[in-house]
Amino acid sequence: MPKRRKSFGFLLSGLPALRGLLPLVLFLATWQAIDPQGSPYFPPPSTWWVSIVTLTKSGRLLPALNATLMTFVLAIAIACVLGGAAGILIGRSPIARRALGPLLEFCRGLPPPVVVPVAVLLLGYVESLKLVIVVLVVVWPILLNTASSTSALSELLLDVSRTLRLSRIATLRKIVLPAAVPAFLVGVRGAVPLAIIITLLVEMITSLPGIGSLIVISQRQFRSSEVYGLLIVAGLIGFFLNSLFIVIEGLLLSRWPPRASYAEGG
Amino acid sequence: MRPSFLNIPGTLTLLAVAAAWEASVQSGAVTFEYLPAPSGIIIALVDLVSSGELAANTAHTMRSVLIGWILSIAIGSGLGLLFGLSAFARRYFLASLEVLRPLPAIAFLPVALLLFSFSLTTELIIIVYASVWPMFVNTMGGITNVSSRLHDVSLTLQLSRRRALTKVLIPAAAPAIMVGCRLCMGTALVMAIIAEMIGNPHGLGYAVVSALQAMRPERMFAYVIFVGVLAISLNACLILASRQLLSGHTREVSHHA
Repeated sequence: MPKRRKSFGFLLSGLPALRGLLPLVLFLATWQAIDPQGSPYFPPPSTWWVSIVTLTKSGRLLPALNATLMTFVLAIAIACVLGGAAGILIGRSPIARRALGPLLEFCRGLPPPVVVPVAVLLLGYVESLKLVIVVLVVVWPILLNTASSTSALSELLLDVSRTLRLSRIATLRKIVLPAAVPAFLVGVRGAVPLAIIITLLVEMITSLPGIGSLIVISQRQFRSSEVYGLLIVAGLIGFFLNSLFIVIEGLLLSRWPPRASYAEGG
Repeated sequence: MRPSFLNIPGTLTLLAVAAAWEASVQSGAVTFEYLPAPSGIIIALVDLVSSGELAANTAHTMRSVLIGWILSIAIGSGLGLLFGLSAFARRYFLASLEVLRPLPAIAFLPVALLLFSFSLTTELIIIVYASVWPMFVNTMGGITNVSSRLHDVSLTLQLSRRRALTKVLIPAAAPAIMVGCRLCMGTALVMAIIAEMIGNPHGLGYAVVSALQAMRPERMFAYVIFVGVLAISLNACLILASRQLLSGHTREVSHHA
């Protein structure tokens, strides 16, 4: 990363350099130029664009996009609040940590896709199903990372807060939060791509409205240019949300920088 | 960090949760219509084991996972080495890969279905596409983060590029590479189950979905719990293996982003 971008671009420094996109652009241009018209499986990129425009005009794309993004944003927000709060509570109590440890580790270790059928069985195809599943999947990495960093808090620092007679809120703000935030963010970093994948998976399996179900419908009807177009849309969602998280993470880490002893998550 | 002796409060909590679950289902206190009792799940699990169905499904899933894992390690560590060693590759090709990385692997499933229909190929493509990334990122991170002092050592000793790679760089990057192998296995299992649910009707993923469709909740829960135990055991095995292999190194360092 060039030094001269440092002045304004420290928040973007986690993002890749643009010139490296050249090979991908060349690849797509070659695909377009060869234009395998005869093959229904490899429609050229221009037809992807046409089918996305058609989908937008027919009013199917935007509601689906909205449904997927809303599920993602709400799920991440709920998981951050629940996981962060429960993580701090569990991390502060050694007994709770030890008693709940195996159960929480099982919840985190359970491969996320199998949560989908369990939730479908118990809740049925209700509107909130997507949200419940995504929260249930992404809350564990956030919770466990926060808990382990909070419990690693040195007793010395807590003694300092007692000596200075800090109130509970001041202790939380000045001692617990700076220790918990970097590890919490490591948890969220793992949760963001997971939340995107699980949102799409739930939509694919349950056909609840969203980009996932739209892709499956196009695939079943063998509209290949639509499938490729929606793949790009899903990719852009992933790229956009991950980049957004990197920027937010940079902002939070400049406020609560990681310290050596807290930096190890999971 | 985990103490080696049995975690008694943890075990008691698990038993208490199971007992409360059993009691609430037996007494009809819960409102979920299809929630089976733990005793019913155990009976279903015994039934699945004795009929050999569980073993057959596990064999299919594990075979796909292992093939996918090995392919991902080969491709991911190869690319990771290339990008870790060559600044040119990082400058002119890395962004193209970085754009593909957040592309949710699951969105490729319909494309793979379009091209290869319901088959093992579809399953493997999805597994490999998703599991290559942790391997790639950790290998590249491991190589690029090798301290400059070690580079100086290989210069001082006038090691050839090849010997510097095998004697200095790869051993220094080994902990990160091992983390890559472990994350890669976890991703491979998750993607195998996803692919079996949607793309290739065999194995554990399909077993869970078909138990749901057949409205046999006991079987479904038995499969779900088995899958959880399988995933955690695989992860634990790899942690043990990497501790054995890296006994000289002090800790794991992940560059997974």
